[in-house]
Amino acid sequence: MKKGTKTSYLLKGTPSILLVLGAGFVMASSTDIRAALGMGAAVLIAMLLSSIVISALHKIIPAYAKLPAYLMIITGFVSLISMFMQAHFPNVVEMLGVHLATLAVSAVVYRDAEEVADHNGEATSIKTALVTGIFFTVVMVVCALIREFFGAATFWGKPIAFMQDYKISAIAGAFGGYLVLAIVMAIINKITKLHHHLDEEEEN
Amino acid sequence: MKLLKTFVILVLIVAIFGGAMFALNLYTGPIIAKNSAGAANDRLNSVMAGGAAYEDITATLSDLPATVTAVHKETSGLGYVIEATATSDYTGGAPMDILIGVDSTGVICGIQLVSHSESLIFGADYPSTYIGKDSALAGVELYAGSTFSSTAFKDSVSAALNALAANNLIAAGVKGDDQILTEMIPTVAPGFTKLLEETASGNIQKAFQAENGAGFAYIMTAGEKSYLAVVNAMGACKVYDTEGNDVTADNAALADEAKTDAAAKQAAYLDPFKSKIEKMMEGAADITPITLDTFNSVVSAASFTFEGATYYAFYSRSVGFHQMDIYFIIDANGAITKMDAKQFIFEEEYFMAFGGMDVTAYKDGFVGITGDTFTGEEVIIATATMTSNAVKQATEDTFDAFNALKGGAQ
Repeated sequence: MKKGTKTSYLLKGTPSILLVLGAGFVMASSTDIRAALGMGAAVLIAMLLSSIVISALHKIIPAYAKLPAYLMIITGFVSLISMFMQAHFPNVVEMLGVHLATLAVSAVVYRDAEEVADHNGEATSIKTALVTGIFFTVVMVVCALIREFFGAATFWGKPIAFMQDYKISAIAGAFGGYLVLAIVMAIINKITKLHHHLDEEEEN
Repeated sequence: MKLLKTFVILVLIVAIFGGAMFALNLYTGPIIAKNSAGAANDRLNSVMAGGAAYEDITATLSDLPATVTAVHKETSGLGYVIEATATSDYTGGAPMDILIGVDSTGVICGIQLVSHSESLIFGADYPSTYIGKDSALAGVELYAGSTFSSTAFKDSVSAALNALAANNLIAAGVKGDDQILTEMIPTVAPGFTKLLEETASGNIQKAFQAENGAGFAYIMTAGEKSYLAVVNAMGACKVYDTEGNDVTADNAALADEAKTDAAAKQAAYLDPFKSKIEKMMEGAADITPITLDTFNSVVSAASFTFEGATYYAFYSRSVGFHQMDIYFIIDANGAITKMDAKQFIFEEEYFMAFGGMDVTAYKDGFVGITGDTFTGEEVIIATATMTSNAVKQATEDTFDAFNALKGGAQ
């Protein structure tokens, strides 16, 4: 990739920044694996479709109209996804509640549109959207697995008999959500050697 | 030109997405509507097995009680599902939400307590005791330990079924004399808490003792007729017929039989109460027991003299979180002179705020209050709603007893 080309934080090796931007919907949808998969699919499809359209149109949209135009495109796709999910996955939509609609103003999706799709062609935009969407889906599913198993003693909404006496309800709540997300972020940082990466940047 | 281009682009985006949403809605709209109807049906089907579809007929019904929020008719003729609420006298806040399924013959086929905010609630199995009953609810008991919430629940279910019967949607259940008289007890003897069944003999068909010791209730027969006799802890008796008329004067023999049975079982409150009066008013003299024909929580009353003036003492056994023993001394003008209780708070670790309660100041707060100036605010103990309510009931019952005394009902 050319130096200076804007791309995803994920591809730049700083996924935790991306996770902080998307912490809201990660928290909201990681209480249940089904909700995590539903939100993951919604994020992936919204990013993918809006990236394709924005990367195709960014040259003809005047700079000062980009904010409303991009927001309308993202909101439009999120609305279409929401309508489709309401028809075919009503239980998942009920679990996600208002957080599915607020995806339209998510910093992750808008940042992807503004800083990646707006500066690159379709191929790079699609690649970034795919990687980011899959990354979020995996993180949300991992968080949901932990929160369901230890917090609610369930898997896929079904009770796990031997865990019923050992569940820690706080993990299923907001406090536990932040705790689990922080642990997952720490593990991701360790894997991606974030500190080493930052040290290198400082040296440069 | 630049502005026009921007305008056209934004309008195009809106138009394209608007069109896409319109097209998608043609496909998803019917599916979403079907899902919504299915979800609503699932909820109603939880009390009406096999319900195919429902029609909301609430607006077509007349004189619905305030506790009935919606009535749904199962379109294939299986029956009706009623959405009702109930609010207990003690919690009094957010109501219980109840779903009642009634088949076409007027028999309850399913019932659920959907949500509640009661501090004490009946067991999960309690609602199922209503299944198979008609609007008479014959044989449905209140739930031991949560009498207030189960009373509110039962009253709400009864009102809902009676409303359907009044609108000629179902046949009304027929109550026997025995049930009519038993259901009359809370009305004629409101101070009798949870009724415990006792052994019966002679003309007494059923005997009940109030758990708080406030008295006894008897279902009695004389010839072909049935009567309700209530005897309070002071020994006063009243007899009622199935219409609710006071027929004590015409049934002296029944009253005597009831009083004899009650006297043999009644706990002796007078002697310990006399000691309590002497402790509360050191120097009290001429303590004379009074028999009142009130049937509230007052279980004993006495008059006495103190420093040349006449006073009246009342002992109430209202029920809060637990059984309470509350004492009032009232002067001849009807103002409280002293108030005391054996114990205010029974679970101090539960009622955290009690640690900061000044019991002496609380009791002194009652001094000087009369039946006319009592507002109910005086009884409030923070975080102890049930105890506060019990003190309120005891205070009101005491003023009622005092008024009965002054009205010559001795």
